[in-house]
Amino acid sequence: MEQELRKEAKKLLEDGKVDYIVGFAAGTLKFSTTPLITRDKEEVASLVINPFIVNNLAKFLTQLPGRVGIVAKGCDSRSIVSLIQDNQVTRDNLVIIGVPCSGLIDMVKVEKLVDRDRDEIDNIAIKGETVAVVISKETMELPIEKVLFDNCLDCKHPSAQEYDTFIGEPNDTICVRGTGEDKIKELEGMTSEERWEFWRTQFSRCIKCYACRQACPACFCERCFVEESEPKWVLPLPKWQDNLIFQVIRNIHVAGRCTDCGACERVCPVNIPLRSLTKKMCGLVSEMFSYEAGMDKNAPPLMTAYEYEEAKDLIR
Amino acid sequence: MEHKPDWEPTIVGFLCKWCSYAGADLAGTSRKKYPANVRIMKIPCSGRVDPLLVLKGLRLGFDGVVVSGCHPGDCHYQTGNYRARRRIAITKKFLEYMGVPEERIQASWVSASEGDKFAQVVADTTKGIKKIGPNKLFAGNGR
Repeated sequence: MEQELRKEAKKLLEDGKVDYIVGFAAGTLKFSTTPLITRDKEEVASLVINPFIVNNLAKFLTQLPGRVGIVAKGCDSRSIVSLIQDNQVTRDNLVIIGVPCSGLIDMVKVEKLVDRDRDEIDNIAIKGETVAVVISKETMELPIEKVLFDNCLDCKHPSAQEYDTFIGEPNDTICVRGTGEDKIKELEGMTSEERWEFWRTQFSRCIKCYACRQACPACFCERCFVEESEPKWVLPLPKWQDNLIFQVIRNIHVAGRCTDCGACERVCPVNIPLRSLTKKMCGLVSEMFSYEAGMDKNAPPLMTAYEYEEAKDLIR
Repeated sequence: MEHKPDWEPTIVGFLCKWCSYAGADLAGTSRKKYPANVRIMKIPCSGRVDPLLVLKGLRLGFDGVVVSGCHPGDCHYQTGNYRARRRIAITKKFLEYMGVPEERIQASWVSASEGDKFAQVVADTTKGIKKIGPNKLFAGNGR
């Protein structure tokens, strides 16, 4: 599959169909990958596909000039579609190389389960419902729902939705083994004071590094409201009140763009359960406006469109 | 919630200048009685109401926020209130999930001829907020 991808990428560059290729290369750590952005025909030989391609590559599209060939899993492709809807990228300038995805492996979970450092592990491979971890010639079989990222376990569209060429076979098994819904239900079962207290505690840990915003493909504003000084909406200090306002507004800003790819939660250095916010927002959007982000490139963006009759019970 | 018996809530009202602001004016000129708890901000259109304004209001310590504009279909700018509606609905629902009681954020459509309705909206909002007590959401840790 990797060979096919490399051949395809090289051909695109040679034929002059694209100026850049955006994909994944092996990372510096074992079982990690790093985004690869290149114009070099030889460098595409380092492209990889494996269960560790965690980044959402759509993030780079708004920053690259010219025509771009991009490797897309299901979540990347939905983010790309939502960027097309928002006129941030032009479909004609993109060559989307779809790849199948059977879930991404969370190395933190694996390391915890096998109680070893990642350097001591020789090989990790997904085999249907289990993940085989090889440590010094001994194979351990781990159940798949214990090692995949939480958002992958909630994923409804694992393969690219929008693509020009597809490498391998599209896989449309809906994975609903995740606990995202349960976490939201648990929060909703609390009183509003308890919920507020929960989020207050969570955002007291926030150090305001803005990694969530930087990793989010839907956050494409050139100037974010938190950096505005006139008026100063939030203080630059990491106070929980301002952290909370920042995150709430960020979620409202990306409503209808957020595909619940989990990039924000993955990059959070203090492990704030941000997916309990993004998933809830996706749920609200689909429940109130029957809209799902990143599914139809011709649909108008959620917040610019309207129906004549909506939200009747909320506004008197 | 514990609070002083003579406590009165302070509510910030974002009113569209074409309908609701004139509606509030009409309530005044026709000498309607309504609670004096609302502090009115005139805005060009309900479409101007950024969710940030709502949150900033709560952050500054207002006990409630009222957003009001023209009835759907009557917007001076054709579609401003349709867009506002999606945004306000999402903001309200999402903040409710975060733990802001729904009484604190009220949205309504009030036309320039509905002085009565405006008085009613303010009265109901004030009553609702009196029930849940002062806004202590962002209290503590300084402002």
